[in-house]
Amino acid sequence: MSSEPRIVEVRERVLKQNDLLARELRREFRRAGVHVVSLVSSPGSGKTALLEQLLTRLRHSQRVGALVGDLATENDAARLQRSGAPVKQITTGTICHLDAAMVSNALSAWTLREFDIIFIENVGNLVCPSSYDLGENLRMVALSVTEGEDKPLKYPTIFNSADIAVITKMDLASAVEFDLDAAQRNIQTVRPGMNVYPLSAKTGFGMEALLQRLSRWERPARSAG
Amino acid sequence: MHELSIALSIIEVAQDEAVRNYATHVRTVRLRLGSLAGVAKEALRFSYGIACEGTSLEGSQLLIDDTEGTDLEVVALEIE
Repeated sequence: MSSEPRIVEVRERVLKQNDLLARELRREFRRAGVHVVSLVSSPGSGKTALLEQLLTRLRHSQRVGALVGDLATENDAARLQRSGAPVKQITTGTICHLDAAMVSNALSAWTLREFDIIFIENVGNLVCPSSYDLGENLRMVALSVTEGEDKPLKYPTIFNSADIAVITKMDLASAVEFDLDAAQRNIQTVRPGMNVYPLSAKTGFGMEALLQRLSRWERPARSAG
Repeated sequence: MHELSIALSIIEVAQDEAVRNYATHVRTVRLRLGSLAGVAKEALRFSYGIACEGTSLEGSQLLIDDTEGTDLEVVALEIE
């Protein structure tokens, strides 16, 4: 049935489907009493090394697991499995970000109640992941010292969408003449008040502060049944 | 480059709305796009054209209103 051209008002968010699913995931996480932390950064900034350390160290006191996103290969999952925690790889094919549906599918095989903290490592990309809510409770953006202090100014959107920032590879800071104060200032310019954790997954420097931050979340009351 | 995913989502929103309004073709999509939405306009236009092929939006025009902030919203459609 065709008719005369006419205008209809819509006013609908383009990513409404993703946002609705993300909201549903967040509700499920709360019901199950699990805290979900996502990690975004550019490729090669040390997300996987950081996650490996976090899983290894948190495993003693918390029930942890991780989802890792990449375009291809199971390499990261294989590497993270060395920590002994359950890990699942999400391969996105050509898609440059994770979305709520991929997270939901990947988690369908897991019983959420069996976890305290689940990490989601996004595809290495500082642009696209910022648009997609994954239902996470905390979004952590990572910047490595080798990328330069002005990364937050160049990619404000992702820093803006995050809750906390970590600065990785601090063991290389002096070798690359990294100016931590300038990096801190740039982060504050883009996202005033954001907590920043400089650390090295390799030496363990600064890891304790981040671990404390991650362990400090109010466990929602698990619903009965 | 997630503009193709965004274009597909725009088409999905427009198609749903067209069906609700008993329309067979979408002629124009009006979008609000914020400078902080993380979406590149030119890449979006390019992806949109390709993604519309073979759908009820084929040949449609994508009008983009630039805004500040993180808007990414279909504002209105011209349908028939």
